[in-house]
Amino acid sequence: MSEHRKVGPEDEDYPVGLYDLEDPPILYVRGETTAAPAVAVVGTRRSTRYGMSLAMAFGNALSDAGWTTVSGLARGIDAAAHRGTLRGSGEAVAVLGSGVDVIYPVENADLYRSILDGRGAVMSEYPPGTRPDRWRFPARNRIIAAIASAVVVVEAGERGGALITARLAAELGRPVLVVPGDVDRPASIGCNRLIRDGAHPVLGVDDLIAELDLILGAPPHPPMGIGPQIPPTGVAIDDLPAIWGCSPADALARLARMEIAGQVRRAGDLVVPS
Amino acid sequence: MYAAATSVALVGGEARPVRVEAHVGRQNEAFKLSGLPDTAVREAKDRVRAAVASAGIRFPNRTVTVNLAPADLPKGGTDYDLPIALGILAASREIPDLRHAVVVGELALDGEVRPGSNAFGAGVLSARENLPCVVATAAVGEAASIPGSRAYGVASLAEAVDLLRGGLENVEPARPGPPVPGPDAPDLADIKGQTVARRALEVAAAGGHHLLLHGPPGSGKTMLAHRIAGILPPLSVSESVDTAMLWAAAGRRRGLETTPPFRSPHHTASKAALVGGGSGNPVPGEASLAHRGVLFLDELAEFPRSHLDTLRQPLEEGVVSVARRGMSLDFPASFQLLAATNPCPCGFFGDRRRPCDCRPAVRGRYRARISGPLLDRFDLIVHVGRVEEHEYSGPLGEASSHVMVRVETAREAQLERGQINRHLVPGRDGLESEAARRLVAAAVGRAVLTARGADRVRRVARTIADLEGSAQVDEEHVAEAIGLRGEWRDE
Repeated sequence: MSEHRKVGPEDEDYPVGLYDLEDPPILYVRGETTAAPAVAVVGTRRSTRYGMSLAMAFGNALSDAGWTTVSGLARGIDAAAHRGTLRGSGEAVAVLGSGVDVIYPVENADLYRSILDGRGAVMSEYPPGTRPDRWRFPARNRIIAAIASAVVVVEAGERGGALITARLAAELGRPVLVVPGDVDRPASIGCNRLIRDGAHPVLGVDDLIAELDLILGAPPHPPMGIGPQIPPTGVAIDDLPAIWGCSPADALARLARMEIAGQVRRAGDLVVPS
Repeated sequence: MYAAATSVALVGGEARPVRVEAHVGRQNEAFKLSGLPDTAVREAKDRVRAAVASAGIRFPNRTVTVNLAPADLPKGGTDYDLPIALGILAASREIPDLRHAVVVGELALDGEVRPGSNAFGAGVLSARENLPCVVATAAVGEAASIPGSRAYGVASLAEAVDLLRGGLENVEPARPGPPVPGPDAPDLADIKGQTVARRALEVAAAGGHHLLLHGPPGSGKTMLAHRIAGILPPLSVSESVDTAMLWAAAGRRRGLETTPPFRSPHHTASKAALVGGGSGNPVPGEASLAHRGVLFLDELAEFPRSHLDTLRQPLEEGVVSVARRGMSLDFPASFQLLAATNPCPCGFFGDRRRPCDCRPAVRGRYRARISGPLLDRFDLIVHVGRVEEHEYSGPLGEASSHVMVRVETAREAQLERGQINRHLVPGRDGLESEAARRLVAAAVGRAVLTARGADRVRRVARTIADLEGSAQVDEEHVAEAIGLRGEWRDE
């Protein structure tokens, strides 16, 4: 595993978004990142299964689209978003509230290593060895909000770090996208309030990608055939090359990725949205 | 007066020498034949008598005894006509003794020598025993194509007599005949639309993968399957000989054809017809006739399940073992399995327009006719949809000759590694990229693939990489392989 290095505002690979902060911090970084636009996926630690699977799907779809995803390595939504990202082809960035060499919570040690083994980086403004003190986390959240070009809140309770991230992001002018939930579900109360306050509701994986496409511009690897191109009545597999204007080989490969992403499934010779 | 000639019997596709002994005695006229001859060999008596007369030679009006040795080896077919005739003529001192020559050929009543099925066997024996061989002119190129053989062609019994009287050593042996392409396979250009199924066919051909096509009636499954012969790489001479020897053992003649065999037995075929056997002298079945080529089972679900299960041994081991009292024969049967089936009894399950009338239980039973272990053999399971009207008026498809170029290149890469991808154990060669491995894992994680399906996908991905000329299996190759995998049971 690579050793950490220090990256400051004067360095070339300093995340551009951090210049928007009043006090651009010096970061300790392990791993590598590219300059791909980043999207934060955050949420409560006390998430539901539903929220976790959604965060996973979001992470995966963003990652496959070529966007980097940012989160905080916390349990719950954060971890699910990281895991989803690692399943795709993009990068995962974890911003810690402890030193870059202090894994917290310990249950995410495998995830921490997967990020460094795969494509991605772990970063923190605190020197190596710093303990994960509670008061450091809100400060950490401002880095997540600043690095990201947009913030997605999957589940958030009445109070919590995710809401802080959302507020900071809004202050920095970053679009905030929020998943609506049942009005009486504790893990969605914060989300629903954000929507009432003007955040953009996210209605699904395709909707998220389509919305980000509008806000951030086309993703590095535009996902094909998502949304209106596969009507609920389905499309014949044989027609995919014509619809997508590509070779049968490429069409089959794309179909496979969409299947793995859980966007479509097969029924006979038809592909239908799942 | 006694003389002998050497001829050939094919046992499990292997050439064994048969000694044709002839004795002309002093008793009254009679013609006896012994040594486990079958009916066709028994009838040689009449053909030989007529052919000898037609050649203008007097048939000895004494007791003629012909014995085919070893006696325990069953002998069949018409290839012993010529050695029997020449043996008798040698025994009656019309021609020199020919115990040091291999003779094979069928006689017509007018003395013409026709190619039987066994010219390759004569050539193989000629090379192995370092003997000259005499075969029909029409088949001499085949016998001569075996390296180390010395083959002489004769068009008639009279010509054979002249040749032997003059001495074989004074004549140049024939040159190897050129390999000939088989009858033209139908061209892929005839197929419009079906881009995905065409791609599947190309990948199957390139990797020798077993392929199952399913889809509604009239969608062109059979048409597609018949076109694989035209895109498979040609056989080498030795491969072609292997196959021809098996054909000969089944009493069929196959020349030095470079087009791989394509066999399409009907679903009413018996077990013996499928894998070989039969009463008496066991003969190779369709599985062996398709050796080094394609066995196509149309309407797979209509084949009795017990018949299909007999194919598991050849699919596994590339050989069919037929046990008979006192002997067990191995017929080589390494073939590529192609199969086509409707998805359900009515045929329209999964069709884009027409609803399926079958109750789910009926559909389930229909599918269960194909056993799991057999299903597991198919690396590619592809749905073939019906061609839409607008596609009928569309442009012609790519021609087989173009596709074959790609297939041949992909095959070369495989042969350099030592085996075709059908036999590949995935992951052994370490040529998969990290991303490719990850995508397979993701597909398994998302339940898009089963563990078995993952192995199939990795084999197919290797072939796709070969088609692209890529040494490493990459993410894209795996993705396409996943796209090409269809499920038969859980649709």
